[in-house]
Amino acid sequence: MPEALLAVSGVSKRFGGLLALNTVSFEVEAGQIYGVIGPNGAGKTTLFSCLVGAARPTAGEIRFRGGRIDGLPNWAVVSRGVVRTHQIVRPFRQMTVRENVSVGAHFGAGRRRGAEAASRVGAILEKTGLAPRAEALAGTLTIGESKRLEIARALATEPSVLCLDEVMGGLNPSEIQGAMSLIRTLREAGLTVLLIEHHVHAVVGLSDRILVLNFGERIAEGAPAGVMRDPAVISAYLGEDAPEGTPS
Amino acid sequence: MNARNRRSAAAIVLALLLLLIAPRFLERGTLNDLWSIAFAIVLASAWNILGGFAGQISIGYSAFLGIGAYTTALLSLKGVGPYWTLPLGALLGAAFSYVVGLPTFRLRGPYFTIATIGVSEAVRVYAAGVSYTGGSSGLRMPPGTFDFGRDYAAMMILAAAVVLLSLWIRSSPFGKALFAIRQDIDAAEALGIHSTRVKLVAHAVSAAIVALAGGLFAINFQYISPGSVFDFRLSLSIVLMPIVGGIGTVAGPILGAIIFSYLQIKLLSTPALRDSYLFLYGGLLMVVMLFEPRGLVGAWQRLQGLVRPPMRKAMPRA
Repeated sequence: MPEALLAVSGVSKRFGGLLALNTVSFEVEAGQIYGVIGPNGAGKTTLFSCLVGAARPTAGEIRFRGGRIDGLPNWAVVSRGVVRTHQIVRPFRQMTVRENVSVGAHFGAGRRRGAEAASRVGAILEKTGLAPRAEALAGTLTIGESKRLEIARALATEPSVLCLDEVMGGLNPSEIQGAMSLIRTLREAGLTVLLIEHHVHAVVGLSDRILVLNFGERIAEGAPAGVMRDPAVISAYLGEDAPEGTPS
Repeated sequence: MNARNRRSAAAIVLALLLLLIAPRFLERGTLNDLWSIAFAIVLASAWNILGGFAGQISIGYSAFLGIGAYTTALLSLKGVGPYWTLPLGALLGAAFSYVVGLPTFRLRGPYFTIATIGVSEAVRVYAAGVSYTGGSSGLRMPPGTFDFGRDYAAMMILAAAVVLLSLWIRSSPFGKALFAIRQDIDAAEALGIHSTRVKLVAHAVSAAIVALAGGLFAINFQYISPGSVFDFRLSLSIVLMPIVGGIGTVAGPILGAIIFSYLQIKLLSTPALRDSYLFLYGGLLMVVMLFEPRGLVGAWQRLQGLVRPPMRKAMPRA
């Protein structure tokens, strides 16, 4: 069996007395849409932080294309082609939308300059529907636009793996439809997408596989239909029968 | 470079040409004042590359000025032509900025600022304590190294070059990286920017420029001492000029430098007010921080906004 594009094995992350991730393992194949779900505080965002090097795992290994990326700084992981968006949007508020996206194009994995960078930025602004707002200051965007800017900046770094952290949070139903079709388009263009999402319908509808975390532990993994019927997943979401010894 | 930059660049080159022929028409006192203003513009604009564009507030730039000045003085005393010593001074300034930056750029915000104060004070104490620098009594340049015409022209060219460099940086990918670091360093790293390397480069460029100005300072004043070139008040003025003018802009440091050097020239020529300039700087700083943190450039933009509302306005739709 060929090695997975992204292989996470036994990753733990401890913040003082809190074990935010507890020996989590999973593999993502190239071209998949891979969903990560779980109740609040399950460790989803911490997992993404570890994947891109914004946080260093306390234990475990993360391999991308066979090479280890855990322990690398964030910028180095991005330049290898793994990038994430932030759940709480972090635009450069005093730059225009176009300038924000061009930062991604100039640095990241592509390192484009001049006209080449400009044309890529233009294309990404079109694809994410931000073209009409290109010259607006990023600080003036609505939440929906800000979420799209997060995606646009990440795309501009020319990733192989795009980790989307709650890009649909706070969006209205039609915006969610738009985001879902954008994610499908990205996969068709060859991208591998990891998706943290609270909208379970969106995740189930989009994902090829789903990982469920609860209190930092993997409680289920597999195809969406099976995972959503898993008793452990149902109890984690509905709060019944909390496993013994875990804080509630 | 976009059209706006090209116009600004053309204006700077024109101003440089006028300043270079000015010695034929102006008297020496005025030329001295112009030298002081250009010197202040060099310091403020160079500092602004790291402090303004990248938001890394260092109050330790007198160290680089002093390194440039001492390199020029010491080598000139060994018989090297003073202008030949300038590249080495710039190189040493850049090298020292790297040594300082490597540990201090791990610190953020006020912690970085405090660290830079410590480093520059250490350098001053060192320069005053060892014998090869002449200790606290300083160094006198060897006779025959003074040539005001040459030093004047060099300072004008350096000032124009720094402003042109700032314009170029502002519109370059490197400049975008600096702005990104200022606004959100973690988000900058998340887009692939190696923030430490970018900060080290900006630090080295601005340190080299300030060291060049230090060399020209030594040639023009013929005498340097730890109290003149390594002075903490100098480090402070270098920070205040861009802040008063408009931090992180290209025009701001120039405006601030002109105002500061003009005030200093006026105050120094009035014996009763000679020591009051620090009081005035402090007051100016407080007024700017309270009423217009974006400095004079920000105030000007606000005035323009009153006359003609800007095209794009914050219009939250959600």
